[in-house]
Amino acid sequence: MLLVQVMQGVMEGIFLFLIASGLTLIFGVSRIVNFAHGSFYMVGAFLTYQIYPWIAEGTALGFFVTIVICGLLVAALGLLFEVFLLRRVYHAEELMQLVLTLAAVLIIRDVTKFIWGLDDVSVSLPDALAGAAVIGGTYLPTYQLVMVGVGVVVLAAVWSFLKFTHAGIILRAATDDRGMVALLGTNQAHVFTSVFAIGCFLAGIAGGFAAAFESINYLLDTRVIVLAFIVVVIGGLGNFYGALYAALAVGILKALGLLFAPRLSMVIIFLLMAAVLLIRSLRRTTE
Amino acid sequence: MARGEGPPTESGSALQGRDAYSINWRLVAAVVLLQAILLVVSPPLLVFALIEVMIFALYASALNLLLSFSGMVSFGHAVYFGLGAYGLALSITHFDFPIALGIVAGPLVAAFFGLIYGILCVQLTAIYAAMLTLACAEVTYAVVFQWFDVTGGDSGISGHVPTMLGLAPYQFGLVVLCVVTVAILMLWRVVYSPLGLTIRAVGQNPARAAALGHGRKSIQLIAFVISAFFSGVAGTLFGIFHGNVFPDYVGVLFTVDGLLMVVLGGLYSFGAGIYGAIIYKLLDNLAAHYFQYWQLVVGVIIVVVVLVSPSGIAGLVRRIVDRFERRP
Repeated sequence: MLLVQVMQGVMEGIFLFLIASGLTLIFGVSRIVNFAHGSFYMVGAFLTYQIYPWIAEGTALGFFVTIVICGLLVAALGLLFEVFLLRRVYHAEELMQLVLTLAAVLIIRDVTKFIWGLDDVSVSLPDALAGAAVIGGTYLPTYQLVMVGVGVVVLAAVWSFLKFTHAGIILRAATDDRGMVALLGTNQAHVFTSVFAIGCFLAGIAGGFAAAFESINYLLDTRVIVLAFIVVVIGGLGNFYGALYAALAVGILKALGLLFAPRLSMVIIFLLMAAVLLIRSLRRTTE
Repeated sequence: MARGEGPPTESGSALQGRDAYSINWRLVAAVVLLQAILLVVSPPLLVFALIEVMIFALYASALNLLLSFSGMVSFGHAVYFGLGAYGLALSITHFDFPIALGIVAGPLVAAFFGLIYGILCVQLTAIYAAMLTLACAEVTYAVVFQWFDVTGGDSGISGHVPTMLGLAPYQFGLVVLCVVTVAILMLWRVVYSPLGLTIRAVGQNPARAAALGHGRKSIQLIAFVISAFFSGVAGTLFGIFHGNVFPDYVGVLFTVDGLLMVVLGGLYSFGAGIYGAIIYKLLDNLAAHYFQYWQLVVGVIIVVVVLVSPSGIAGLVRRIVDRFERRP
């Protein structure tokens, strides 16, 4: 029972990581707190629902192809949002940026309602992923194991991108000191746009995977964005690896909380976030 | 305010000279009179809408004290709004307070939580502080939502106070008008008092304010508590207006409503909350009536405001007034 619950927590943690990593990358580089990130996740889920039947429904390969396509479509949407709207407020004060992304949440939600309606929809899992594996006497759904694998692959991909590619180096440098990066001749607008698109891609594929095991509706955005913020804050705003640990911690804590103290699980997580924020501030002032 | 243009400095704003700070009693009297007449002559449905606009004007003005003047962003201001309503309800149902005392208790409960959460939140700055207000708000929401024995959980509390105190809608509207007018005038006094000057100084440049001997934390805490108190007044009125209270009053939607109102109204101006509440509630009531997707409309309008006219409706009004005043 405990193992099943921990496994559930790990899977949820990986989802959170997929969402929160995009959020934290975007914050790290462009200092934008993107409320619309949950909305991009939701769009990814709905697009998967829409596109999967068109592309070889029922096969595992078709499922993965669908999710990548959806990720790219969401990235394109994010790109448009960044280029036409967000780019104009990089120099405005923080509240204006926040409110602009909040407005995007409202707009995307109503457009989603318009296109896909108010009812829950769901995507049926491909047969190959729908079974369960027996490990140490407990049944674990294959899908959870696959998700862990997906999490590792994405983590490895983003890690090697950050570590080894030229673009990754620029991205890390921009997180440290974007003024200096601009001074050294890199076009800042391109960096901001690409990191936003990458973040949206991650949100899109997270939404795609989520579509396969939970029902999706137009309220998905707010449900997810708050948790993603918690993860980003606990991990340290802009800290990619911090987001990984925080996502796993929050995922497992939430799953165990549901087992032992279902009424308090969200309270515990928020208290953890508050404690992390305050302890960090104490450390800053003593240094 | 990490970067960007930030709030306009005092010298550049229209609020220069002694006259601009003192209350324009003629304007206040005219607006109050007009509103009173509207309340008396309107059909009940419109009266309800007007009451809601007034209550939210106070709530948004209280939030605006933080956003425009003290340099803080609150992502959890519905907590103080909702706790006003809960303070009223719980003091009557659990402590057998008479209604009059409960009405006093509401805002005080809100201010008390403003003090507790404020002490935590002012330890941080900028987006970190905003995130902490969000955490405080979510904890409060979860407790209110889950603590069924005390708060009634999802089904809330009702029947503790007669809806609108048993008055006719227009009579209750006049009561709300009085309370909201006094409260907003008090907020004006706060913003343009020596304390308000300090609050604005801290909001504009904490380092310089500190050099003058005004610590950021204590000043921001005072502003936070004042804002929580007046949000609580609005929430208490809202609780009486509907005769009930639900966890939603503490929830994120009411917080977002407040933020959007202030930005629509126009940051860095005192009237932001008032203008914003009028426009937002007008859209809420009208657009929702004719158009299912009214949030889309609100979203687009906010995008336009942010991109084209960051000073919002207040800025628009000021420009129009300036133009008229320049003509002899």
